[in-house]
Amino acid sequence: MKKVATFPSHNKPKSMENESHGIMWVFAGLNLIFLCCAGGLFLFLIFESYPIFKLHGFDFWLGQDWWVGEAYGALPMLYGSTLVTALACLLVLPLALAVAIFISEFLTPTSRRCVKAILELLAGVPGIVYGLLGVSFLSLWIKDVFGLLDGNTLATASCLLAIMILPTVLTLSEDAMRSVPAEYRDNALGLGLSKWQTATAVVLPQALPGIMGAVLLGIGRAMGETIAVMLVVGSLDRIPDPWFNIFSSAQTIPSKLGREAAEAIGEGTHWSALMALGLTLFIMVLLINFIGNRFLKRRSIS
Amino acid sequence: MNPATFEKGMVFFLTILTLLVSSLLLIILATVFAKGLPALHSGFLIEASENFGREGGIIYQLMGTLILMTGAVLISLPVALGSVIYQTQYLKSETGKEICRQFAQMLNATPTILFGLVGYLFFGVYLETGVSWVTGSLILAVMILPTLQVSIREAIEALPDQYKDAGMALGLSPWSQIKTIIIPQCYYGIITGVFLGLARAAGETAAIMFAATTFSGIHLPESFSDPVPTLQTHMLVLTQEAANPEALAQAWSAGLVLLSLVFFLTVMAWILRSRLKMEAEL
Repeated sequence: MKKVATFPSHNKPKSMENESHGIMWVFAGLNLIFLCCAGGLFLFLIFESYPIFKLHGFDFWLGQDWWVGEAYGALPMLYGSTLVTALACLLVLPLALAVAIFISEFLTPTSRRCVKAILELLAGVPGIVYGLLGVSFLSLWIKDVFGLLDGNTLATASCLLAIMILPTVLTLSEDAMRSVPAEYRDNALGLGLSKWQTATAVVLPQALPGIMGAVLLGIGRAMGETIAVMLVVGSLDRIPDPWFNIFSSAQTIPSKLGREAAEAIGEGTHWSALMALGLTLFIMVLLINFIGNRFLKRRSIS
Repeated sequence: MNPATFEKGMVFFLTILTLLVSSLLLIILATVFAKGLPALHSGFLIEASENFGREGGIIYQLMGTLILMTGAVLISLPVALGSVIYQTQYLKSETGKEICRQFAQMLNATPTILFGLVGYLFFGVYLETGVSWVTGSLILAVMILPTLQVSIREAIEALPDQYKDAGMALGLSPWSQIKTIIIPQCYYGIITGVFLGLARAAGETAAIMFAATTFSGIHLPESFSDPVPTLQTHMLVLTQEAANPEALAQAWSAGLVLLSLVFFLTVMAWILRSRLKMEAEL
């Protein structure tokens, strides 16, 4: 009888083992490229924005004036980004909550799939198309309705952003509500609660962290949106007067980057200042996203 | 108020809200169609643009968009596939996997304009590819990396354990397992990822607007260092001329073409994903 081949690795033909190891290093190398892309981005931003922090220190974030070549102050952009995102969030939150409850608790499976498909398509509409819609309709409406001289305001940008992130927030919130175990619903219904009571008193509190996470991920997306905001926010580098006047033009970080990067590209203090803005945006978005993912994960474990 | 009436009222209210939100897509679609169709004459897709985009067609812009997104997927696919295979098949340490996950999430969350800035500096200036379609493809490739990874990872993780066990019992080396089991079985997942990545790349403006594109002056790139005109930049420039009705009409038509392209790619991805689900259930 012939000797049966044995498996322990020291008995394998040498060539096979070498081939196997070589291939592994190829995959490891590809993985390294991916890690470098993500990590390199962060390091690059820090590295490139170092000169401006050396020059201005933390005053960079507190300065109110941005005159190319003289002063670089990021406060108006920071304020604009925060305000636009917060307003968009305020607009989206109640709507997302209400619609997510309805989709997840009151719709039949078929129509739920249908609505979710629509939402997924909506989430893929390019930013530039929203920008075009904003320029041609939203900013004109806001101008007419509120009797303004210029329709390109913080409020316009927030409305547009709210429409843009609504599908993402809705889909994720609905997922969070669906992930509440079916026994909870059955128990509640068995105790004689109505469908409405089950949805609001049992499912909703359970799904709340997931919904929070969904909203935070939406905010993260809204904060980084460039094109649509750039076209309708008015691009005026100052804090509105008074500060809560949402019907005045302002500036957000991505829109500032989009407007000025082409002239400053590559070198100089101006570029460094823009990269520092980018770094600020990156850190803000990452933090929001990190917290959002935490919320989503907690839901899926428990 | 009677609680039952109250509940009925609330449910009715929610129905209306949901209908409103769902009709949002229809409104957006209808608007783009209503605005885009009038300027869409028979030669729109096969003529060059004239008079700074105010007349003529969009053939070169469309070609530019297609070149950029195809290039991006061609660059991104091997990296995405390789890194996911490494993470799922070779990487044993949980910490390592967690780090990879965090990095993927980070890449996914990054505002796209930052890809444009950093990508231009890294590829365009340091690697000297300049303002060109190569730079644009590289930037978009990094941007769609997480999209591809998610699809491929889902497909690999959905593979039944028996397949891998059978492969191991046959004494296949890890590489033979990847070659004969994982890649053929995850084929649909990979293609789904490719389509989603193409759709994401097609809809992106901010990342490429100053690194890879030009508005006029160039038709098709003749070398690796030429920029291309794209639908997105075309729309952006025309939109900023909002006072000029001709320009705006052209922007709407270009928008209609772009939106159709993105929707087509997304729907293709869905069809393939449902194939994937069906295979997994067999």
